[in-house]
Amino acid sequence: MKLTNKLLQIDPAATQQKITRFIKDYVSKAKAKGIVLGISGGVDSATTAALATTAIGANKVLGLYMPEKETYNKTDRKHVKLLAKKFKFQLKTINLTQTLNTIYKTIPDYDPKDKLSRGNLKARTRMLIWYYYANHQRLLVAGSSDKSETMIGYYTKWGDAAADITPIMDLYKTQVRQLAPHLGIPPAIIKKPPTPALWPNQTAEEEIGLKYETLDLILYGIEHFMPTQTIAKQLHLLTKTIATVKKRWLQTEHKRQMPLTTKLEYRTINADFRLTRTTEAI
Amino acid sequence: MKEEFKTALVQFPCKIGNKQHNINKIAKYAKQAKKQKADIIIFPEMSLTGYTTRDLTYELAEEIPGPSTKKIGKIAKKENLYIIYGMPERSEKGKAILYNTAALTGPEGYVGKYRKMHLPTHSVFEEKRYFRLGYQTPVFETNIGKLGIIICYDIFFPEITRALRLQGAKIIICISASPAVRKKFFETLTTARAIENTCFLAYVNLVGIENGLQFWGGSRLISPSGTIITQSRYNEEDISFGNVNYEDLRPIEAFVPTLRDLRPELYVTLKELSEKL
Repeated sequence: MKLTNKLLQIDPAATQQKITRFIKDYVSKAKAKGIVLGISGGVDSATTAALATTAIGANKVLGLYMPEKETYNKTDRKHVKLLAKKFKFQLKTINLTQTLNTIYKTIPDYDPKDKLSRGNLKARTRMLIWYYYANHQRLLVAGSSDKSETMIGYYTKWGDAAADITPIMDLYKTQVRQLAPHLGIPPAIIKKPPTPALWPNQTAEEEIGLKYETLDLILYGIEHFMPTQTIAKQLHLLTKTIATVKKRWLQTEHKRQMPLTTKLEYRTINADFRLTRTTEAI
Repeated sequence: MKEEFKTALVQFPCKIGNKQHNINKIAKYAKQAKKQKADIIIFPEMSLTGYTTRDLTYELAEEIPGPSTKKIGKIAKKENLYIIYGMPERSEKGKAILYNTAALTGPEGYVGKYRKMHLPTHSVFEEKRYFRLGYQTPVFETNIGKLGIIICYDIFFPEITRALRLQGAKIIICISASPAVRKKFFETLTTARAIENTCFLAYVNLVGIENGLQFWGGSRLISPSGTIITQSRYNEEDISFGNVNYEDLRPIEAFVPTLRDLRPELYVTLKELSEKL
């Protein structure tokens, strides 16, 4: 197998069909009234929103845009409004600035210099609001995590990745970028640098240290059991670069699974209770 | 014995763990098939319970014959046709000795069962965790000829279909629960098995979504020359009908004489080589 962009090519129409079928089926089986999701103005949430509206109808999709002073970006705001108009879903804008300030003040040991903890707090606060609406309006929360970010753990534990379903989690970022135009996502949204918006001027690629085009091929190699050296050789990269990505993937497994316990009894949660969602009561 | 008969292939989304719902579906389709004068109706792998029953398999598995087999047996008698369906079977010899089984019942009552020989336990599949491997390759005498049954992943192993064909089964029924990513494999292998054995092959696959797995349907009846006689829709609940005429085998067998040209000594070599893998 030769690691080239060709491997990451998807059939956008078939992918759209599979994902929308999945969303529709799960919402129906969960007997939910619709979907709520965070809309940031980025390509992942735009794609997820577009898929949700196609799957269950725009009138059953609620988008929540939750800006806050520190990371506020005019362009994102414009893009969010554009998406709501284009895909006709209901959009609520909730300014989190005051809420976050209150939380910062409430924490006795709050450290303003610790930007990671503060940033994660923002992602988790957004999650609280999604789930308020989910409970209140009997909606399911759709997460917008893609495969690239999820594999390297580039997200907030119990924050932006907390959801009931994550429709695009099996698509690498470069694959999301192929699907997005097919769904009618405006090019300006697809092309702008992705950011988790946890602190000002944060961009994903700068922080990760790799372009998604490269990262995705590395991850594709890892996914397909390719040895580190082979990936490095094929992509003309240092072995160290691949090893760093692999390390991030392995060390963040705790984020992708339910909390770990130690086995004490006959059947243990997440260890050897194995069930399927949407099982009928028997 | 009939030389020509009509098959009905049914793919429906199962409700996981809800046997009665799934039996009602079987009954509904059997009635519809009889109206169309079908002689046999075939349902997917694990269609009694849904495929991804996981830990509930221990609870859902039944002996064969058993309560569900009896219920479906009544449907077969009432509609006067053969019914093949999949279900988790529990051995009478142990509470947790389970098999992934296909059961066959007909107008004359319960006919027999086939226990899946190759259990996929890789990727998303975890069958060996729950099931014991089957050890028999039976063919079933019916008034529509000798029937051979295989289940899903078995089709990757040509020797089992061949063993059934060598016992005189001129139609092989493959019931399946294949997720979408495997579609190409099954579309290729079902045709290959029909051609290489000069037999009819009825492939019946699940539809619906279970635990994120999308089953692609696309059930089909394939002629000994590899022609698709009938095919159900992809991904959607569907029934399709197709005729089998054993007379069609005559010209195929004459000019694609794979059974005549078999080299038995190779099987000894294969046995030795596969033991040393």
